[in-house]
Amino acid sequence: MSNSRRLFLKGACVAAVGASGFTLVRAKEAGKNTSKPVYKYALVHDETKCIGCDACSIACREVNQVPEGVSRLEIKREGPFGEYPNQYFRFTRHSCQQCESTPCVDVCPTGAAYKDPDTGIVSVDEWKCVGCQYCIAACPYQIRFINPITKAADKCDFCKDTRLKEGKKPACVSACPTKALTFGDITDPDSQIVKVLKSAPSYRSKLDLGTRPKVFRIASQGGEVKL
Amino acid sequence: MNPFHFDGLIWHWPIAIYLFLAGVSAGAICFAVLLKQFKLGEDAYKSGFVQAACLISPLAVFAGLGILVIDLTKPFDFWKILVFYNPRSVMSVGVAVLLIYQVALFAWLACVFKEPVLTWCQGRWSVVDKGFKALMKYEATITGLLVLLALSLGAYTGFLLSALRTYPMLNNPVLPLLFLISGISSGAAATLLGGVLLKGNPDGKEVHFIHNIEIPIILLELVLLFTFFAGLILSGGQSQVAALTAIGEGFWGWVFWGGVVVMGLSMPLALNLFMKASSKRKFSYVAMTASFSLVGVLLLRNFILYTGQMTIA
Ligand code: SF4
Ligand code: SF4
Ligand code: SF4
Repeated sequence: MSNSRRLFLKGACVAAVGASGFTLVRAKEAGKNTSKPVYKYALVHDETKCIGCDACSIACREVNQVPEGVSRLEIKREGPFGEYPNQYFRFTRHSCQQCESTPCVDVCPTGAAYKDPDTGIVSVDEWKCVGCQYCIAACPYQIRFINPITKAADKCDFCKDTRLKEGKKPACVSACPTKALTFGDITDPDSQIVKVLKSAPSYRSKLDLGTRPKVFRIASQGGEVKL
Repeated sequence: MNPFHFDGLIWHWPIAIYLFLAGVSAGAICFAVLLKQFKLGEDAYKSGFVQAACLISPLAVFAGLGILVIDLTKPFDFWKILVFYNPRSVMSVGVAVLLIYQVALFAWLACVFKEPVLTWCQGRWSVVDKGFKALMKYEATITGLLVLLALSLGAYTGFLLSALRTYPMLNNPVLPLLFLISGISSGAAATLLGGVLLKGNPDGKEVHFIHNIEIPIILLELVLLFTFFAGLILSGGQSQVAALTAIGEGFWGWVFWGGVVVMGLSMPLALNLFMKASSKRKFSYVAMTASFSLVGVLLLRNFILYTGQMTIA
């Protein structure tokens, strides 16, 4: 008995160490970025220029064939603030923040949620997705949804498979009448987006979670000051 | 706020039932192993309690997996979870554990029931004989591996939720431990309830053995629950908001205090202590105590899942 017990203990220890070691090593490897992305696409939403016309979200629905009832992009409206005639609203963009450190990709069991190595754009492989909704729960910005037609997880991918392929800017950026949206590569110091970001202070949502979002916002003076 | 429908709710009750069943399976098989190793030895298969645990454990894990698959938006694509693997995903690691666990589970079941199976075969098929002999050589290793995998499975039910940064209440290091311990206690309860229903002696040594372990487990569970919520409240911010929303007034507050704390933990604890003091255990006591704990753990899973999703970081 004592012999077999010792045998079992040995076996169990080896198995435990082996299994956890393997997982840790694999996780570490997966965490490493072997090849640097060629581009790092980002977006600025200038809330001081936004008039809440929804041209962006309508264009998005059209170009990316987003079905009724769900949306990749919404403009949230707060307000009105102030007294007539100086009333104003505050508009914020609700869409994938294209995190640099991605909770959605980390949890996906099949690798259907992934970050494109060339563009840094977080995307979904419709075919690989099984619809476990783990990524939807993991996204702290709550912008993922199940596409009622494909039954796969879906979200904004900067029009990667539609407009970007044709060499055009994302649909929302082109549709915006006030030029509130700027899209581009932040690794290129001469790009329009870097200029915009340098010209005005910007903020990003929920930075404390360590997600490092690539959607920047330029805050409107309007709105409440909340504690 | 409607307790079952609110903004931010992604995972519904099927997930809670899946987590519950995985915990029951892991807990029940742990008790079957303990009973065999320390109380019953080679005669283990004759005990109603071991039989119950050996029946419940595989059925619960199958049912849990079934629910998980049906709950996917693309159930027919579930095989992609098995083919593709993301080592960083808690779900991937958990699925791998679940699969190896089932292999170890059936290997161990074969070891426990070798006598009745072999008598039933009466040497008709020499392959069966040989297979069992080969398996028997590794019984100790299989047992050890099974316990290890069962504990991993129990903790995994918590890790699955604690990996979510979105929800400050779930993103909590105590959660896996809490789920592991409550899973073990639900396994004990399922074993006892199944055992007395399979005509096991309610005053038998199995019941005494399990009850002796159950008392410290319930105490530990209470301590972990306290640590869980005290930790959340003391860390302030959204964690505090989440904790106070969960255990404050409203539907889920009632579930927590009435269902989890009073019915699921305090009553079984009181009944256990009472049974220890009074000399004889009766069927009704054992069955009632076990049912209370089972319902308590099921409520705990639902409570944590739903209230956890109510507050966003
Ligand atoms: S915003 Fe959500 S979906 Fe987009 S990259 Fe971040 S975690 Fe993923
Ligand atoms: S829903 Fe799809 S993309 Fe999201 S985690 Fe599950 S498999 Fe991955
Ligand atoms: S199109 Fe431009 S101005 Fe109109 S809502 Fe969108 S970002 Fe704002």
